[in-house]
Amino acid sequence: MGLMREFTKGLWKDLAPFRVVLGLCPILAVTKEAETGLGMGIGVIFVLTCSNVIISSIRNIIPRQVRIAGFIVIIASFVTMVELFSQAYFYPIYQKLGIFIPLIVVNCIILGRAEAFASRNGVIASALDGLGIGLGYTMSLVLLGSIREILGAGTIFGVDMMWASFRPFTFMAEAPGAFVSLGLLLGIMNAVSRKS
Amino acid sequence: MKALDLIVSPSPHIHSGAKMTGISYHILIALLPAVIVGISTYGLDALRVICSSIACAMVFEALIQKLFKKPITISDGSAAVTGLILALILPASVPFYIVAVANFAGIVIGKQCFGGLGANPLNPALVGWAVIRITKAWAGYLDFDLALVNYDTGFLMQYPLAVLKAQGASALSHFDMIDLFLGKQTGGIGAAAIVWILIGGLYLVVRGVIRWEIPLFFLLGTAALSGIFWLTDQAAYAGPMFHILTGNVMIGAFFLSTDSGSSPVNRWGLVVYGLGCGAMTIFLRAWSDYSDGVVFACLLMNLFVPLMDKIKDKQKVPEVRSLG
Repeated sequence: MGLMREFTKGLWKDLAPFRVVLGLCPILAVTKEAETGLGMGIGVIFVLTCSNVIISSIRNIIPRQVRIAGFIVIIASFVTMVELFSQAYFYPIYQKLGIFIPLIVVNCIILGRAEAFASRNGVIASALDGLGIGLGYTMSLVLLGSIREILGAGTIFGVDMMWASFRPFTFMAEAPGAFVSLGLLLGIMNAVSRKS
Repeated sequence: MKALDLIVSPSPHIHSGAKMTGISYHILIALLPAVIVGISTYGLDALRVICSSIACAMVFEALIQKLFKKPITISDGSAAVTGLILALILPASVPFYIVAVANFAGIVIGKQCFGGLGANPLNPALVGWAVIRITKAWAGYLDFDLALVNYDTGFLMQYPLAVLKAQGASALSHFDMIDLFLGKQTGGIGAAAIVWILIGGLYLVVRGVIRWEIPLFFLLGTAALSGIFWLTDQAAYAGPMFHILTGNVMIGAFFLSTDSGSSPVNRWGLVVYGLGCGAMTIFLRAWSDYSDGVVFACLLMNLFVPLMDKIKDKQKVPEVRSLG
């Protein structure tokens, strides 16, 4: 029961970009299309879960003074794996994500979960926490990516959604569109959670 | 009016007794000549754009205020002013959905999300215009030469600033300054009617709705910087008169930059603000990809307004006076 809560809290209560407002750099940069958002999200799920498990299992060995450096080394190893893997098997998405795959290392969510959760809790709880937070983050990326792709290009996952004469509102695919849509989504989430 | 109630608010504290409704109606009256000229030039299309823009602005304002559970204040006319100003800087052929998106961006995101009337850091009409202008897929609808190709207006149908951008100042010899001044030029529905905008603006200055410092120093800034450019290279840069009489400079000086929520309070702030808008316009016209830079210049200077409000008038400390 308690373990289940570690998983589900990432889906709403601590939903990464909207409720705790962490990891905003990738959510602004890679959500031009739903597909890149999904790719980024899967990468984050993998890195977050694995690094949480490793950090949690060696949490009593790492000296407190150098723990951040230790976390970064562990996270960076998994990010390198994601980068090489996506370069080998998902080259188009790798090209679209570009610099933002290596930048997962400095994603605040991953370091934040390592510091705030994995270094204080057991291995199974940490794994579930990583999975839940990562899944919530992926859903948020896909949601924002879908909104921006539908309005900005008239497609979703590359499939045409709009009528033939639709002239895309390309503002949404540009950087200002990312800020505006993220801000509106944050406002809506806050309004919804305040009511409940 | 309950004059003796104490109100906690940022300065200035002296209240002239003017109401938002009165200010809005003065602005609408001041724009009326330009509206009439625009409709007589471009016919029913201009009327359609103006009406749909005002309607969209008022509907969005009412809807968002209902959603936010605030008192609905569309009857004060500020939304109508935003819609009308936005329509006047658009070409007459612009489709309805672009007008609707621009008004949504301006009213909902640019104004109500920041707290409504007076709390907006940017002029809502300019936010709306900027959003549709930087949408690349819609550029053809907003390019005056492309959008107005089917209209027979009886005068030279070339957007002067696009000619300047594409061919340099030496290609401008067939633009007659008198014609430009009389509004016989391609441009926004109302923004191109230079002389009528000027008359409307002077009316607002006389009525005390806008401060005279902004338009004066806006035009001075435009003239001074374009003069400097012109003196350095007369073949590449157009002269001050041309810059003042084309594009959105006149409507920018009197209507776009003077939005009371997004312009400074004190005199020296107003001077710096006006000069900055005018100078930035010329920088953007000379060096940016856009042929006209007025709107972006005003938006940029809007962002600096909190800094300019720190420039205080020395001679007097704001005092609370009885309204008498």
